[in-house]
Amino acid sequence: MVRLVVLVCTLVSLLSACSILPNSHSEHDPRRQQSTEDNALLAQDDLLHLDEGEHHPAVQVLLTQAEQSRQQGDAKQALAYLDRARQIQPRNSAIFYRQAWMNYQIGELQQVQQLLQRAQLFLRSSVANYEVLQRRIRTLQNQLKAKQGH
Amino acid sequence: MSSTKKPTKATPSKNKPKAKSAAKAKKASPAKPTLKKPSVKKRLWSWSWRLGIIGLVALSSWLVYLDAQLRSQFDGNKWTLPAKVYARPLSLYPGLLISPQQLKAELQWNDYKAVTHVTSPGTYGREGSDWIIYRRAFSFADRNEGAVKIRLSFSAGRIDELSVAGQSQGLARIEPQYIGGIFPAHHEDRELIALQDVPPELVAALVAVEDRAFFDHHGISIRGILRAMKANVAAGRTVQGGSTLTQQLVKNFFLTNERSLRRKVKEAFMALLLELHYSKEDILQAYLNEVYLGQSGRRSIHGIALASRFYFAKNVQQLDLSEVALLVGMVKGPSYYNPFRKPDRARARRDVVLNVMEELNIISSAQRINAQGKGIKVAESGRAGQREYPAFIQLVKRQLQTDYRLQDLQNTGLRIFTTLDPWLQHATEKSVQQHVTKLEKQAGYKPRTLEAAAVVTSVDGAEVRAIVGSRRVRYFGFNRALDAQRSIGSLAKPAVYLTALSSGRYNWSSIVDDKPVSVAGQDGSLWQPRNYDKKDHGKMFMVDALARSLNQATARLGMKIGIGQVVETFERLGVEKTIPPYPSILLGSLSMSPLQATQMFQTYASGGFAMKPRAIQALTTSDNQVLTSYALEGRQAFSPALIENLRYGMQQVVVQGTGKRLARAFNTTKIAAKTGTSDEQRDAWFAGFDDRHLGVIWLGRDDNKSMPFTGASGALPIWQSIFKQSGLEPLTPLVDLDWAWVNSYGLAIDEDCGGIREMPFMPDSLAAREVSCDAAKPSTAPQIDGAEKETNKRSGSWFDWLF
Repeated sequence: MVRLVVLVCTLVSLLSACSILPNSHSEHDPRRQQSTEDNALLAQDDLLHLDEGEHHPAVQVLLTQAEQSRQQGDAKQALAYLDRARQIQPRNSAIFYRQAWMNYQIGELQQVQQLLQRAQLFLRSSVANYEVLQRRIRTLQNQLKAKQGH
Repeated sequence: MSSTKKPTKATPSKNKPKAKSAAKAKKASPAKPTLKKPSVKKRLWSWSWRLGIIGLVALSSWLVYLDAQLRSQFDGNKWTLPAKVYARPLSLYPGLLISPQQLKAELQWNDYKAVTHVTSPGTYGREGSDWIIYRRAFSFADRNEGAVKIRLSFSAGRIDELSVAGQSQGLARIEPQYIGGIFPAHHEDRELIALQDVPPELVAALVAVEDRAFFDHHGISIRGILRAMKANVAAGRTVQGGSTLTQQLVKNFFLTNERSLRRKVKEAFMALLLELHYSKEDILQAYLNEVYLGQSGRRSIHGIALASRFYFAKNVQQLDLSEVALLVGMVKGPSYYNPFRKPDRARARRDVVLNVMEELNIISSAQRINAQGKGIKVAESGRAGQREYPAFIQLVKRQLQTDYRLQDLQNTGLRIFTTLDPWLQHATEKSVQQHVTKLEKQAGYKPRTLEAAAVVTSVDGAEVRAIVGSRRVRYFGFNRALDAQRSIGSLAKPAVYLTALSSGRYNWSSIVDDKPVSVAGQDGSLWQPRNYDKKDHGKMFMVDALARSLNQATARLGMKIGIGQVVETFERLGVEKTIPPYPSILLGSLSMSPLQATQMFQTYASGGFAMKPRAIQALTTSDNQVLTSYALEGRQAFSPALIENLRYGMQQVVVQGTGKRLARAFNTTKIAAKTGTSDEQRDAWFAGFDDRHLGVIWLGRDDNKSMPFTGASGALPIWQSIFKQSGLEPLTPLVDLDWAWVNSYGLAIDEDCGGIREMPFMPDSLAAREVSCDAAKPSTAPQIDGAEKETNKRSGSWFDWLF
């Protein structure tokens, strides 16, 4: 019995030591930092406006209409506007990302995957918001993986 | 049925019962000798009474039945409404690549009228270098938009500035062109219109000409019948009908054209009942929507709304007095007074109607004189009222039938918004027609020997922009684009090279051998494909074998990488059919329809996403509730880098291979393409894409005989002509590949070290491959050996048959 208690105590202390160790490093770990920012982005999700950023005037009109529809809770309508935007700029990564994000919100997970792949394919480092978009694509990809994992 | 016979028998029946009752009376008399025999007159009287009552009861119940039938059909939806199919709406925005010719053509096909002063919806004009378009109000699939004035200017083939209702705007759109309907078996087509939207003079003219007493009678007009009788007796033949508008409506709506007294009586009763239940306005509105006004092929034109679009390419509200009078006049005999074929008769009839209108003070004599002074101006054929795209409509119908019942498509007035680009469709139709005729002349063939089909899609979204199923582009029969299964020939080759590239053992600089090949089948037969020029070309870079479409080299390569692998590639590319693992599939013994071939090439064009070509964007009910929105779908079947690498090979087809002609024609080599010619030149194919569109062309004979054309000489010119008209946008790379010089062994090396050609490699794969100057001596084994050795070790029976 005593042996058992000692064993359990040893195990518990070992485990707690393990869990403390990475934590003590975490503040300096760039990956960890990244994930905090991702979480911040995640938390902003309901603040994410479909019309944010600078776009071609025609695309901007449609993104604004999509955003209005989203605010009114009409996801399908928002998606219809986004798809019109896509037809005007068929290789705009930001539009694909928004389509993926909107589909994610309504649980169309099958669509999300391929839309994110397209967003990634057409993402060019020359675009103004390259880094933000890249991070968002990755975050959504991770979210999707987690959801599909369940 | 017996009940319907009653009224017609009402009069003659008086005699029969009389005879019967007399006979009965005779028989009955000996049985009851004690009764006093009633007088014959009294008996007759009593039997008549009884029969009269029975007749009355029967008549009443028949009327009740008729009434129920009438009301059930007249209440609610009176007509089956075919689904309406629309092209894509034309979006206008600054920077859009569009020629003024295209804008003008699209406006005209959409029934827009060129005017000097743009003051009403449905017109357009020029003010200096600006274009002004008065867009009509329209319920688009995503929202309703009102009538609005759009002003735009061009600069270097693109839209420069755009304003809507005087405000600078980023985006505007023209309502989509109506391109056809999905009709029930009787092919009745109509557009519904409410009475208040019909010009009053049209209604007045109709009443004046067809039934002057319409507002006074209760369904039938005794005076009208008498007047008609008098006129007919005087003329000695039928010159005038006595039917009221209500009777005409009853006849067209409920009954058949049968000429019998029974039908006439039923019509009269139904007319009375109709007037009993419904207002004059209801009846007029139904009449205006029901009336038959002509024929366009299989499609019958009903209702004044559709007729006005059909004959004059206008809304009813836009009709002028002369056109109103002509439409009203045509009610009497739409084919007799057809203004397309019999303009003189139509004109005479119109003038009669105008006279009547003046006589009844509907118009002044000045108006009459003015209208009669006008010629008969009908819509040009090819306008929207008549313009149909059979091949595209067939595709739409087929794609919809996976989700909807045909009956619902034919009956419920759905609105179908499609992906068709009328300008590209026009270019495709014209190119097919012109070139097929030209090729026939070239070959000395009789007209109509050759057939062709074409499919054009957008590269990124697989939206079908144009489709032609026959050289007879208005033909509603066999659709070759969807249903002709033909050997794809060398269109199969990119799949073989993609398999090689994706194996990781090959790149474009790998050396392949074009020596003769012979493969023994399991049944002992030999497969010995030869090159088109019947020559052997020896060892070469792999890319050159694809560019020159060499059969021997491709067959060898395919056998080495394994047929099973190639079959798998076909499947991943989206080929939805059983592919037998025979060696001949490497060179395209596989049969596909042009649409299936398009689906396969779509994966190359889209950067690796396997997608089905899609013709439908959205579907709404007649009152504009969205039923389905079809969005971009697909799955990533190949990595974009791999596809980019393959596309380099397909561009070499244009740089130096069988598609060289395009490089000269378009002054760019940034086009990916492949020619295809099947055995004995039975089929000529061409598939190619630029940065916007993918086009697949097939040329052949319906009897499957050979012809003196190859993919390059027969199908390529059609592709070239389509893309010349639509404008070509050179390909841009999907991803950056690594580039290196290679020596004659295909090894990556410094240019100064004997590099002879620059070639692409998969990203991050070069570091392992690049060799130093010293290592690049001939002693280094050429890559072909490496590949062969490797395959030799693991290859199965197929390789043993190679010799």
